[in-house]
Amino acid sequence: MNKFLGNKTAILLFTLPTILLFSVIVMWPTLQVFYRSLYDWNGLTEGTFIGLDNYKRLFEDRLFYTSLKNGIIFAAVIAVLQIGIGTVLALTISNKMVRGRKFLRISYFIPVVLSVTVVCQLWLAMYNGEYGLINKVFEALGISYRQDWLSNGDTAIYAVAVVNAWQNMGYHFALLLAAANSIPEQYLEAAKIDGAEKWKAHWKVTIPLMSETYKFCLVLAITGGLNAFANMQIMTGGGPGTDTYTLTYMMYRSAFRVGEYGYGTTAAAFLIIECLIVTFAINRLVARERIVY
Amino acid sequence: MLSKLRKSNPLFQIFLWGYAIVSVYPLIWMVFYSLKDNNEIFVTNPFGFPTQLRFENYVSAISEFNVPQYFLNSVLVTVVTIVGTISLAVMFAYSAARLRWKGKTFAQMYVVIGMFVPVQVVMIPLAILVRDFNLTNTYASLIIPYIAFNLSFSTMVFFGFFRTIPNELEESACLDGANIYQTFFKIMLPLVKPSIATMVIFVFLAAWNEYPIALMLISDEALKTLPLGLQFFQGQFTTDWGAMGAAMTIASLPTVLIYILFSEQVEKAMTVGSAVKG
Repeated sequence: MNKFLGNKTAILLFTLPTILLFSVIVMWPTLQVFYRSLYDWNGLTEGTFIGLDNYKRLFEDRLFYTSLKNGIIFAAVIAVLQIGIGTVLALTISNKMVRGRKFLRISYFIPVVLSVTVVCQLWLAMYNGEYGLINKVFEALGISYRQDWLSNGDTAIYAVAVVNAWQNMGYHFALLLAAANSIPEQYLEAAKIDGAEKWKAHWKVTIPLMSETYKFCLVLAITGGLNAFANMQIMTGGGPGTDTYTLTYMMYRSAFRVGEYGYGTTAAAFLIIECLIVTFAINRLVARERIVY
Repeated sequence: MLSKLRKSNPLFQIFLWGYAIVSVYPLIWMVFYSLKDNNEIFVTNPFGFPTQLRFENYVSAISEFNVPQYFLNSVLVTVVTIVGTISLAVMFAYSAARLRWKGKTFAQMYVVIGMFVPVQVVMIPLAILVRDFNLTNTYASLIIPYIAFNLSFSTMVFFGFFRTIPNELEESACLDGANIYQTFFKIMLPLVKPSIATMVIFVFLAAWNEYPIALMLISDEALKTLPLGLQFFQGQFTTDWGAMGAAMTIASLPTVLIYILFSEQVEKAMTVGSAVKG
C-alpha cells in the first residue's frame, strides 16, 4: 500500500504542475510587490534601490489619503448594505411559510452572476443625469430631485459603492441563508416558547449562531471594499477630479498611466498589509468563542 | 401558539418583494430598452414594455460592433480555463489528500494562501511577468493567470472532498492489481463528479466575468473578451442606448441562463468556500 500510494512519478506528475504555475503566477508577483516597493522603477530597466523613500512619499501624498478614505467609505457602505439587507432578507425567507421563496431567491442572486462591466454600464444608464432610470422615477413621482449622481464630488463615491452593494448583496444573502437554514429549528422554537418575540429570538439566538458566517461576510465585504477597482475604472475613471480614487486605482494609474511602477507597488504593498490586518482583526474581535451546535 | 409565531410580519413581506424589485427591475429595464428606440427610452415610455419590439438593435449590436468577436474570445478563454483549472486542481488535490509524501500538508496550505491574494493588487508585477514571457496580447496571457488564480479555491474544495473517501477503495484497487493512474481515473474521478460539476460552474462564472486582468493585459481589439470589450460602449453608444442594451443583454445571457437552469448548484458553487476563508 505504501508503495502504491507513494509512487514518486505519480506524485510529481500530479503535484508539480499546480505548484509551479501557482508559484510563478501568484506567489512570485506577490513577493515582487514588496520587493519592488523599495525601488525607483519604471518597469523597463532594473531600477534603483531607494529603501523606504516610496513609503515616505506615499505618506506625504494627499492622493494616498483620499484613496485610503474612499476605500474605507466604500468598504463601510457595502458592508452595511450587503450584510444588513442580506440579514433581514435571509432571516425572513428562512421561514418556510413565506410564499414565492424560490422566485425571491433567484431575484436576489441574479446580479451576482453578471459581469462587473454590464452592471457598471447599466448603472451609468440608471444614474444618467437626463435620462437615467433613477431621475425618471423621481420625475414620475413628481419630485424635482434631478441629480447627476456621479459628477458630484461629494456623492460620487457613495453612488459607486451602491452599485457594488447592489451587485453582491445576493451573495451575502445566499451565505446568510445557508447559515440560517443550518440552525436546528428547536433553538428558535425554544426561545419563542420562553416568550421571546420573533425578532428578539433571532437577535439573541439565530444571529449569534451564525457568527462564523458573519465573520466571513465581513472579511469579504471590507477587503473587497478596500480593494475596489473595477467599479471606478468603468464608471468614473477616479473622478470627478480624484474624488473616487481608491488605493488599487491609485496603483493602477501610477504604473500604467504615469509609468511609476515602483511607487505603484508601494500602494499595493500597503493595501496587502491593510487587508491582512483587517482580516486578522475581524477574526480576533468578532465572536471569539466558536459556537458548536 | 407555534402557528402564530410562524406567521411572518407583513412589513417584512413587503420588504422581501420590494427588494426583489430593486434587484431585478434594473435588468428588466435593460432588456426593455434593448428593444426600444431613443425616443421611447427617453420620453414616451421609459419604464414599461416596449410598444414595438425593435430587434434591429440586436442586429446593429452584432453587425456594427465587435460583439460576436468578444463573445467568441470569452467562450474560448473560459472553456480552456475551466478544463485547465479543473484538471490541475483535481490531480493536485488527489495527491495532497491521498498519496503519501512528505510535506503534502504544507503544499496544500501553500496553494490555499492564494485565496488571500486579490488579483488587482499584484497587477503590476503580473503585467511585467507576462511581458517578459512575451505573452502580452495573446490568449495565453489571460488563460494562464485565470487558471493560476482559480487553483487555490478549486484545490481546496477537491481536497475536502477527497478526504471524505474511505481508504478501502484504494486498498482493494491495489489488491486487484490496478496501478495508481487507473485508480485515479477509474475510481476516484467518478466519485468526485459532483464537486467537479460545482467547480465547473464556479470557474465558468469567474472566467466569463473577469475584468482586471483582461483590462491590464489585452489591448488588441481582436482578443478582447466581453467584459473588456463592453467597457467602452458608453462612449461609443451614447447616442444609441438600444444597441448598448442589446450588447449587454447578449453578454449576460450565458451566465443568467446557467443560473436560472441550475440555480441551486450555482448558489452552492458560489458559497462553498465560506467555511474556510475568513
